[in-house]
Amino acid sequence: MTSTRSATLFALALLAPALLYILVIVAYPLFDTVVLSFTNAALRPTYDFVGWANYQRIFSAGNFTEVILRTLIWTFFSVSIKMIIGMAGAVLLNAAIPGQTLFRVLTMPPWIVPMAIGIFMWGWMYNGQFGMISGLLQNFGIISKPWPILAAGDSAFWATIVTDVWIGVPMVTIYFLAAMQSIPRDLYEAAWTDGAGRFYRFRRITVPMMLPAIITMSLLSLIATFNSFDIIYILTRGGPSGSTTTMIIDTYNTAMGSRKYGEGAARAVVICIFVTLFCLVYFRAVRKLQQGEAK
Amino acid sequence: MSQLSLKQLEKSFNEARIIKGIDLDVSEGEFVVFVGPSGCGKSTLLRMIAGLEEVSGGQIEISGQVVNDLPPVKRGIAMVFQSYALYPHMSVYENIAFPLRVEKLPQAEVDARVGAAAKVLQLESRLQHRPGQLSGGQRQRVAIGRAIVRQPKIFLFDEPLSNLDAALRSEMRIELMELHKRLGSTMIYVTHDQIEAMTMADKIVVLNAGEISQVGGPLELYHKPDNLFVAGFIGSPKMNFISGKVRKADGATATIDLGSLGTIALPRTSTAVAGQDVTLGIRPEHLSLGEGEFGLETTPNIVEQLGIHTITYSTLSGGENFIGLFEGNPALAEGQPVRMSFPLDKVHLFDAKGLAVY
Repeated sequence: MTSTRSATLFALALLAPALLYILVIVAYPLFDTVVLSFTNAALRPTYDFVGWANYQRIFSAGNFTEVILRTLIWTFFSVSIKMIIGMAGAVLLNAAIPGQTLFRVLTMPPWIVPMAIGIFMWGWMYNGQFGMISGLLQNFGIISKPWPILAAGDSAFWATIVTDVWIGVPMVTIYFLAAMQSIPRDLYEAAWTDGAGRFYRFRRITVPMMLPAIITMSLLSLIATFNSFDIIYILTRGGPSGSTTTMIIDTYNTAMGSRKYGEGAARAVVICIFVTLFCLVYFRAVRKLQQGEAK
Repeated sequence: MSQLSLKQLEKSFNEARIIKGIDLDVSEGEFVVFVGPSGCGKSTLLRMIAGLEEVSGGQIEISGQVVNDLPPVKRGIAMVFQSYALYPHMSVYENIAFPLRVEKLPQAEVDARVGAAAKVLQLESRLQHRPGQLSGGQRQRVAIGRAIVRQPKIFLFDEPLSNLDAALRSEMRIELMELHKRLGSTMIYVTHDQIEAMTMADKIVVLNAGEISQVGGPLELYHKPDNLFVAGFIGSPKMNFISGKVRKADGATATIDLGSLGTIALPRTSTAVAGQDVTLGIRPEHLSLGEGEFGLETTPNIVEQLGIHTITYSTLSGGENFIGLFEGNPALAEGQPVRMSFPLDKVHLFDAKGLAVY
């Protein structure tokens, strides 16, 4: 009895630093945000409990559902493109070609370069007067006058996705490459002996065996992309006229731009709910995969 | 007509020659075992036949057709891998059916073929399981099942039993031999275990450093090894070797000086060995206790009592290890000198190049 008790205490003692860290860095701010979302805290020093008023306001204002929808679309395209390019990149990097290591190294810069620098670089490339993209398109005669990509809603929306993909692809590629390399060579040799072609082997061996990695990466990427702030903020600050305002930008603009802390907190709580849902899906998927393996 | 024929087959990886001009014929229905120590090239040779390794020189013919440049699936072979190479995410059924799915056979045909293979391999109750839930022996059978359904001309086995424990290994050995009898197909089997080779093979190919040392039936290799390598490799415990020098070879008898062990006169017709340094070989099981045609005294360092027989390990005055194997449980003790002897007709003689002298 005493030995089990001391073992429990010992385990708790070992966990204490991590628990303390989570309490201070995660649990308390989260709790405080939820509390804040029920108040009218703002630049003027008020802190009155207002019930569901903030939530009622943001959902009745009209543009919030639009922001949610835009965030989901933005995230969907960004994650899907990252997964597709990441997988294609992993397949190419896994091929036995001369200079393989060099190519693997060359995939890294977008990930290694400090994010803000990379984003500024894209900002200049998107520039209508001096930007490389507009310049090249004019040189090739595809467009006739300068094209300020970030100045129009549609093109700005896609431009932010392209930059997000550029930054996110290396990690996906490397992760997929590692998963691909952990598949035993024998399986491919056996399939090749049985007459399975390249595409057939990819479809029936590579993809199913990488499924845990694909699901994990998709959901982790989904959460990161959903919360992606710096790319949009540096490139467009959510504009022009809100066309790149995702939930996280919207929250920031409300809380820090308009100094409506209470309402901003309410918007942040909605983000939390979405991310929690994503996490639940992730854990369910992982559990299902594990059960599938045991079956 | 031979079903598989290798002609001056060569394989090099960069500068290293792994397979050095191998010639071999395998007849239809034969069970051929490639045996040799690690790194002798036996697996490479098998993978070349399978089409998993490119040929650097020479020819591989299957049923009279040169297959050097054909992909594995067009060679009429099926291979069972050492690791089994089962697809962990597919059921046993889908694993066995894999080659048939590649061929896009109709479902009824797939059902029939997988069912037949499962019956032969006693896997019927396991078809819906995943490989992860099977024992080593069952996984092995699934791998064999995947080979059977393709109805190949030649089965290739790459050390298929090396991942199993000893008891299961001997069980699977018997199953494989029964399978060979039932299917009547040609089988080529790679192993480093000479007991597997001796028990299963119609024909053993002993490989050493990328070359064939000897080809023959198990008993032929045991009784008439062509060279020192085969003599030392086939048989367990290993053959004893004693160095000596031929004093006289008159065409009827070779008289050999064995140093402190004395002189031995063997019936040999070769006169070429006169004056050569030679090696005498005598198998541990051909020794007996007490006096005989040629006797010597040794002191066992270790005595192993196995019930059915007793094995002694000693060192001769020339430094050679000397193993004796005796039936039953004779009264032998470590550190106590014992007199052993052997009949002259059981002695193997190898010349300075290591080739057998008759």
